[in-house]
Amino acid sequence: MRGTMPESSPPASPALEVSRAGDYFVGRFRAMASPCEVLLDLDDREEGLELAAIARDEAWRIERKFSRYLAGNIVHEINHSAARAVTVDDETARLIDYAAECWESSEGRFDITSGVLRRVWTFDGSSHVPSDDEVRDALAHVGWSRVTWTPPVIRLPAGMEIDLGGIGKEYAVDRAATLLAGRARCAFLVNFGGDLFASGARRENRAWGVGLDDPARSGESVLGKFDLTAGALATSGDARRYVMHQGKRLGHILDPRTGWPVADAPRSVTVLGRSCLEAGTLATLAILHGPSAAEFLEREGVRHWVL
Amino acid sequence: MRVQLDSTPRPAFVRSRLRAAACVLLAAGVPAAARADDAAPKYQLDASGLLYGEQGRANVVEPVAKLTRLFDNGASLGGQFTLDVITGASPTGARPTTSIQTITNASGTSSTVQANQLPVTAFHDRRMAGDIDWTQPVGALFNATSSAHASVEKDYSSLGAGETFSLDTFHRLITWSLGGSYSHDLVFPVGGTPVGLTAGGAFTGVARNPKDVTSVMAGVSRILSRQWMVALNATSIYERGYLTEPYKVVSILDPVSQNPTSFLTENRPTRRSRYNITASSVYHLTPDVLYASYRYYWDDWQLGSHTLDLRFRHELGNDSFLQPHFRFYTQSAAKFFTLGLIQGAPLPDFASSDQRLSHFNSVTLGLTYGFKPHGYPGEWTIRAEYIAQFQKVNLGPTEGTDGAPVQTAPDAFPLLNIGTLTAGYSLSF
Repeated sequence: MRGTMPESSPPASPALEVSRAGDYFVGRFRAMASPCEVLLDLDDREEGLELAAIARDEAWRIERKFSRYLAGNIVHEINHSAARAVTVDDETARLIDYAAECWESSEGRFDITSGVLRRVWTFDGSSHVPSDDEVRDALAHVGWSRVTWTPPVIRLPAGMEIDLGGIGKEYAVDRAATLLAGRARCAFLVNFGGDLFASGARRENRAWGVGLDDPARSGESVLGKFDLTAGALATSGDARRYVMHQGKRLGHILDPRTGWPVADAPRSVTVLGRSCLEAGTLATLAILHGPSAAEFLEREGVRHWVL
Repeated sequence: MRVQLDSTPRPAFVRSRLRAAACVLLAAGVPAAARADDAAPKYQLDASGLLYGEQGRANVVEPVAKLTRLFDNGASLGGQFTLDVITGASPTGARPTTSIQTITNASGTSSTVQANQLPVTAFHDRRMAGDIDWTQPVGALFNATSSAHASVEKDYSSLGAGETFSLDTFHRLITWSLGGSYSHDLVFPVGGTPVGLTAGGAFTGVARNPKDVTSVMAGVSRILSRQWMVALNATSIYERGYLTEPYKVVSILDPVSQNPTSFLTENRPTRRSRYNITASSVYHLTPDVLYASYRYYWDDWQLGSHTLDLRFRHELGNDSFLQPHFRFYTQSAAKFFTLGLIQGAPLPDFASSDQRLSHFNSVTLGLTYGFKPHGYPGEWTIRAEYIAQFQKVNLGPTEGTDGAPVQTAPDAFPLLNIGTLTAGYSLSF
C-alpha cells in the first residue's frame, strides 16, 4: 500500500501559484502530502489560473473526503463505526467498488484494509522489524473478505480500518483530468506527486517532456526522459522508506497475505496506462509481485520501467 | 511436457479488469460536491427525437423535451413536452381479397383497394402531450411523487393525475413502492361516433365519448449484492367507457368464396381489466451491465402476452458505450377478435379485426451507441431498432368464427417491418 495521504490535517486551502514556463503555464500547489502541478498549453494567464484552480479544488476535495487522517469524513466514519453498518454516498461506493475489484483481480494482494499493518511496521531505514506475534495480531484485523460490502452499505468488523490512500492520489489525478477535459480548450498535463495524466498533443503537435526519477538519488537525478502526449503515468515505490532485515532491504509495500513487506521488490515501478488509476494500481501490484514485478508487467502488456 | 503450476493470471487479465473498473469509477457523473457547492447541477435536460417507420404504413416523428429542476433537499420538479406527428396508413381491419374492393368508412369516405393488398386508410395526425411531476422526499427513506398529464389530438384528449410512494428499508437494500393514477379521456371521432357493427353511416349522436382509466401499481426492488439488483412490479388497470376504434371495420365474408362482400364498423366491450407482472434484473459485470426483464400481461378480453427483454451495456471506454437490445413479444388474440364475420350468421355482441388484438409475435433487434464528445457538455445517444411483427401460424381454418371455417386467404397480416431511429441528448447544468 502506498502512503500518499498527509500525516496531519492539511491547511485551510492550498495556495495556488501560476507562472509561465516557456510557452505554457504551470499551476503549482501542495495536496495529498505531495507537490502538485498542472501544465497548461495556453497563453492566457487568467484562463490558466481558472483551470489550475479547478484541479486544485478537486485534489483538495478528494483529500478532505477520503484522507484517513482527517476526522469527520466518510473514511473516518467507517473506521470508527465499531462494527456498525455505514451507508456511503455514490462516489465513495464507486471507489470502494474499484478497490474491491483490485482485491479480486490481484488475488488478495491489493487490500484497502491492510493499513492496520502499518501500526507495527516503521520504515525508517533501521533494522527494526516487528515480532511474529505483533504481525499476527495485526493480521487478525486485515482482510477485505471479512468486510460486508453491499453497496451502498459497508460493515467493518471491529478493529478493522480501510485506507483509500493507495488509490486516492491516482483517483484525484483522473478526476482533475476529467474536470479539466470538460473545461479546457488546450492540452494539459496533471501531475500530482509524480502521478501524471496528459490529455493529448500540444500545439504544433508537440508532446510534454517527462523525466523518470532515479530512486537511488531521488529528486537529484533523472534516469531518462521521454515524450508523453496522451495517457497516464504512475509510479509506485519509495526509495527512502525501507527497513533492513537479514541483509535484505524491505520496501514499505506490505503484502496483506503475509503481513510482511514484499522481499526483493523493485525500488520503483513506473507504468504507462490509459488512466492514472489503472497505471498506479498495476505499478503497486507489480511491486507486490516482488522480484517477478517486471515479468508480471510483461504479461500484462503495459509499457513499464522497473528500477 | 511441462506442467505449469503458475497461478498468476492470464496475460493482460489484470490490466483489462482494472481498466474496466477505472472506467466505471471515472465515467460516473461528477458528484455534486466535485464542483463548487453553488455550482452543483440544478437542472437536468433530456431531449430526444424519434423517427418511427412501418414499411408501407405509418411514419411517426416524435420530439420529446424534458427539463427537471433539482432542489438541494432532494426534491425535483420535472416538465415534459411531447409532439407526435403521424402520417401514413393504418389497416382498416378489412381483409385482403383476390379482387379489387371498395371500402367505405364510418366518416362516409370510400377507398379502393387492389387485389391481395391489405386495406388501409390514410391518415395524418398530430398529438401534443405535456407531463409534470413533483418528487418530495419525506425524511431520508420515504419519497412521494405526484404527477399530472394532458394530451390532445384531432379526435382524442386525455387528462390525468397520479401519485406514487416509495420507501427504502433494510439499509436501503429494499425499496417498496405503491402508486395509483386516474385519467379521464375523451374520444370524438371525426364525422361522428359510428354505431358498432353497422354498415356505416349510422351514428350514435354522441360527439364526445368518455373513457376513464384507473390504475394501481405495487413494486419491490432488492439489491442482492454489489453486482445484482432485482425487482418485481405488478400493475392493474381498469378501463371503462368508449374503447372501440371508431375507424376500424370488420369484413363480412361470403360463406362460400370467403371473399369480403361488405363491411361493418367494429364494436368492443365498454370495460376492460388489464393486469401485468414484470420481473426485472440488473447485473453489473464491471463495467458492463446486463438488463433482463420478463413481463406477463393478461386482461379480461382474454388477450395475454409474454415479453422478454434483454439489453447489454458494453462500455467502450472514453465515455462511450454500445448497447445491443433483443426483445421477444408474443400475444394471444382477444376473444372477440375475428378475421371476418360470415354473411348470414347471427352477429356477435362484439367484434374487431384490429391487428393489435390478434395473435402475433414480434422480435426487436436494436443497438444504442452513447458517447460524451470531449470538450462539449452533455451525453448523446443514438439508437436504431428493427422490429419484425409476424404471425407464427398461417391464419387458416382454425381461426374462423361462429364455427364456420375460414379458408386460407391472402395473408391477413403479412410480415410487418418497422424501423425506429432515436437520437437523445442529456445535460446537467
